[in-house]
Amino acid sequence: MGRKPKSTITNNIRRLRFEHDAMTQQQLADAIGVTRQTVNAIEGNKYSPSLEVAFRIATVFGVPLEHVFEYTPPSG
Amino acid sequence: MNTSFEERIVWVNMIALLLALGIYFVVAGSMLRAGVTNLVAYVPLFTIAVVVQVALIAAGSIAAKVLGRADERDERDRLIAWRAEANASWLVGVGILAGISAMVVAVPNVWVAHLLLLSLFLAELLKAALQLLYYRRGF
Repeated sequence: MGRKPKSTITNNIRRLRFEHDAMTQQQLADAIGVTRQTVNAIEGNKYSPSLEVAFRIATVFGVPLEHVFEYTPPSG
Repeated sequence: MNTSFEERIVWVNMIALLLALGIYFVVAGSMLRAGVTNLVAYVPLFTIAVVVQVALIAAGSIAAKVLGRADERDERDRLIAWRAEANASWLVGVGILAGISAMVVAVPNVWVAHLLLLSLFLAELLKAALQLLYYRRGF
């Protein structure tokens, strides 16, 4: 039996930060109530945040959620 | 610094546990081999180990605060702790089953007590190691 294909979630947080006066990871972390290391992990696709934190990020940048995160369903 | 306050605290807890209880098990192991079967004889040694562990954690926590921001625990820290605990708790189960089996075959209480303590020690050590792995590797 083969391995179940995995879905992927990517994000545009790094680009959005630079488009918002080069906001630092620490500034974003303080705005959404997590640590800078968590923002770094989200940006590096090492951690998928809760829905609440995802919405907080979108609110900080003033864009819809799908402009921040992109979901790729499993292929096949 | 690229480690969160919580990650630094995990390092502190793991090192304190390893040093304090590690030394306890080395000394207690030699006492067991020497035939000391009275459980009360191990109490002073265990008390010292716990005091040393608490002192190391206190000193390490101060150092962790000095080394960077002392941010509050966030959702990622909580998730990492929960997942590490879930993946390490089987060791306690194994220890309890081994302890019960040892009692069935009439192994002396002092050995059973140390078997249970060892399983708790190893489970805590595994939990801390898994937390550090999840912090570095992500999940």
